[in-house]
Amino acid sequence: MAAMKALLAPALLLCVCGLLAAGCSDQAKKAVAAPPAAKALVCPDRPSWQHLADRISAPVYCPAWLPDPLIGAIGNRWNNINSVSPDRSYLESFVWQETGGGAAGGELHVNLRGYPGRTKIPTCRTGGSESRNVPCFADANGSVTERGLTATLYTVNQDADEWHALLLWRRYGNLYTLSEHIAPPLTYNHVIRYLHQELRSLVLVRPSAAT
Amino acid sequence: MKFTRRQVLAGAAASAVGATGIYELVDQLTSGSPKRPADTVALPEQHLLDGVRIVESNHIEVLVPPLHHEIHTAKLAVDRADLSDAQSELARTLDGLDRDYVPSPAGLGVTVAWGLPYFRRLVPAAARRYLPHDRRANKPVIFDAQRFPSDPAGTRLEANDVAILLRSDTHAHIDDAAKRLHDTKLFDFTSIRRGFAGGGFDGGQSLPKRLAVAAGVPGGELIPDASELFLGFTSTQRAGMGPGRIANHETLGYVDFRGSDYFREGTHMHLSHIEEDLETWYLNFDFDERVATAFRPNLIVAPETQTVRQGPRDVSDSAAVRRDYESSRRIGHSASIQTTSRLERDFVATDGTVYAKGSAIPIRADFNTLDNPFSWSVRADEMSPTPVAGVHFVVFNPTGDDFRRNRLAMDGVLPGGKIPFAPGDRNQGFNSILQTTHRQNFLVPPRRHRSFPLAEL
Repeated sequence: MAAMKALLAPALLLCVCGLLAAGCSDQAKKAVAAPPAAKALVCPDRPSWQHLADRISAPVYCPAWLPDPLIGAIGNRWNNINSVSPDRSYLESFVWQETGGGAAGGELHVNLRGYPGRTKIPTCRTGGSESRNVPCFADANGSVTERGLTATLYTVNQDADEWHALLLWRRYGNLYTLSEHIAPPLTYNHVIRYLHQELRSLVLVRPSAAT
Repeated sequence: MKFTRRQVLAGAAASAVGATGIYELVDQLTSGSPKRPADTVALPEQHLLDGVRIVESNHIEVLVPPLHHEIHTAKLAVDRADLSDAQSELARTLDGLDRDYVPSPAGLGVTVAWGLPYFRRLVPAAARRYLPHDRRANKPVIFDAQRFPSDPAGTRLEANDVAILLRSDTHAHIDDAAKRLHDTKLFDFTSIRRGFAGGGFDGGQSLPKRLAVAAGVPGGELIPDASELFLGFTSTQRAGMGPGRIANHETLGYVDFRGSDYFREGTHMHLSHIEEDLETWYLNFDFDERVATAFRPNLIVAPETQTVRQGPRDVSDSAAVRRDYESSRRIGHSASIQTTSRLERDFVATDGTVYAKGSAIPIRADFNTLDNPFSWSVRADEMSPTPVAGVHFVVFNPTGDDFRRNRLAMDGVLPGGKIPFAPGDRNQGFNSILQTTHRQNFLVPPRRHRSFPLAEL
């Protein structure tokens, strides 16, 4: 819906200008020509992310935008994993699944992770009878920068990030990741576009001073 | 558990360009035909193509195959009474193609291969008398195709009378040849299989990358830009292909011609179609694992390398494959096959040619395809409009049994014993990301007997 509103706003303005074509003021023209003011990013559920930051005593990233219908609020119906490990690393998973076939079916799955106090890529087990240690995030495929945040794109990932394209960055002595599942209705290129948008929409939530 | 795997993904590309139309992009994406050597000759062997260009990739010699490939399979529309006339007519048609096109990628390569149903049905007595005999296997050089341990139960074992392989840098040459062959009315065609080859050896994106992306194949965007194959590595390096006449029936002494030279300078051809799960390959296997899977475990190569040296000195034998398996619990595709596909010692052929230890024996002519599984088929369930990445695998071996040994080795059935793997095991080379849909064996007669072999006897 937010995206629809964003599309409708300039369209309405153009309509109004069209109706008043003869008398559309210079001021209005300037308003059309001027670059849009940067919209403030709003964490959809600041208290829950604040609670997470306080719990791990490290900054966390709250997604102000996730693909519809996902909403980045911890504890809501889409947040299927809300996990903090003893080492303070966390995983917040948001998933929508529709098991119908064809156009009705599909999945949207976004993971956000943080590893406080470490910047090295963690090690995962591959599982199965011949399980072995592998990097949890591998096969770097270039970098992505949005709003000053530069992340490396990894395409071979493990565990909850298996089959996901994943962005990884290091800040404040911590390692962070944001990943999305490549699955219908999304193609690889679509997921990459979404990851750009999600990275662009991250809101930093620092631990409360008291904690 | 993710529910979105191959079967579901099949629908994702449905809105993209259909496979048949996509091949028109080959000509649009290439700036004309690649440069080719000028002087070419028609060799006695149908399966050998003169005038193939050689380039260097990562300081390794690589053969540049023709851009366009087609295979037409058919049942024969003639019976025994018509054989003599049919033989003459097809010979005239093929001779006409030879006159009009030089037998090279710049012109047209035509290989006419005959299936066992032809020999059994139309020339049974002559076949019993003249079909070459494999000394090692103690059976004819051609036999019905079989499923291998890693094949799905649904792999179709075909029974075509004939398969005609057409290769050229210019698609119009193939179109012309196909029209002339169809116009003979000698064949009831059963399938048309199309594809392309072309690595980014001259810079820029390769055809597999560009066509996979254009077709919307899942995982296509993850193919390395210059990759010769969908799977990201170079497959036509010179040292990995059988040199000269090594795959001829007669060269390595595997074959008893039983007192006749009729099939001398002929060979065996195996034809299969294999689907490739690119998304699993690029999203679940990191680069090091892809190298270990494609070549061998414990092989260290620089990141993003596509052409990995596979010369005679890089060859693995059974002991090396077993050692790698003991340390890593996996086998590589190339290494396991090399246990049967490379010469164990220097060999001097009857014509005096010395083939060095470690030389490859099979000559591959496989090509990338987006057919699903075929461009056209008499069977409605063999021509889905949704493109799928795959390969039409074409390989020439001295005998059918020689191919069989290579293919079993790919499944861990090595000389001296079997390495136990479950079918499709991730640690068993490429098998976990490949699905073979069709197989058949053929005999390729020498050029002089390419038209209805044995019919004149």
